[in-house]
Amino acid sequence: MSVDPYTVALNNALTEIKNICPDVTRSFIFTKEGAMLAGDTEVADETLSKLLHSFQSIAEKADKVGGLNTLLINAKNGKVYVSQVNDMYLAITTSKNADISYLRSVTHVIVPTILKLLKDITPTPLKPPPSQPLIVDDLTGLFKRQDTVEIDYEILTQWSRLLNVKSINEVEIESVDGTIGSCKVKAIDNSGKESRGLIRIPEKICQILKVKKGELVKVKPVS
Amino acid sequence: MPAKSKIQQIENLGINLESIKTREGIIGYILRSPKSASIDLSDPAKVVDYALLSAAALDEGKDLSDTLEIGEVNNIILEGTDVKILSLRIGDSRLSVFMKKDVDHERVCKDLYAT
Repeated sequence: MSVDPYTVALNNALTEIKNICPDVTRSFIFTKEGAMLAGDTEVADETLSKLLHSFQSIAEKADKVGGLNTLLINAKNGKVYVSQVNDMYLAITTSKNADISYLRSVTHVIVPTILKLLKDITPTPLKPPPSQPLIVDDLTGLFKRQDTVEIDYEILTQWSRLLNVKSINEVEIESVDGTIGSCKVKAIDNSGKESRGLIRIPEKICQILKVKKGELVKVKPVS
Repeated sequence: MPAKSKIQQIENLGINLESIKTREGIIGYILRSPKSASIDLSDPAKVVDYALLSAAALDEGKDLSDTLEIGEVNNIILEGTDVKILSLRIGDSRLSVFMKKDVDHERVCKDLYAT
């Protein structure tokens, strides 16, 4: 997660929410497209990836009935509360006795206030760092270029919109062990549900990044 | 659970659902057991969308609770722009009640278990 003022401010907002509501155990802020903006750093990437995948699956179906505003899971040992705040989602886990109405009031004051303050004091337009966790898949085929990875069309479109550019031609890939490399990118042919969450990487690039099929990598656009 | 009390529980659930369904703001419900499904929705055109959302809420809700280690799910409340959904498992059955946003879902949840 990059340390820019936007991320720092959102992380501070999450810390403040925890201070005000001690029942909060973990918290994250992410976009609807699954880009993590801020959150607990001690949570494993695999956990975050699963969390985002589950959330996206629900949000996708909820689009058909007018979109998802909040999601509350009441479980035996705790609760998960996900709430839309501006154009982001805030996910919080709490103890089982947490007062969700109180939490709702707090989150809907703190996060929008901080975002508004940031907009007022930051000279350049705010752009969330769109780092996306994706699962590695093999890219094979006679006519496939060996210097180009493939990502779901929806993700590329979302990045173009966020960065206000016509198209995304290059991405930076970070493996779990921290190896970073840049390469060209194009949309997966016939992008569909099955390709969402995948990055198809040619063998040569896999070797350079020391990644294998099924592993998680963080991908962000190079604008 | 003994077979007799299980049957009783399902019968009670059916009676309670019929009662809840008549209340103002209740859009309908989808009840799925391993062998059958019962759907009662005021807008039949939305059956597929509601069924998919209901299944996703229950399945992904369980995955989220496993991932975040918060134990067995009691119920899930999902609020969209237009509707609110209460989803839960009762025995082997999976139930989703669809309602308008101003309906008190906690009361609905309580009344589902009434005997």
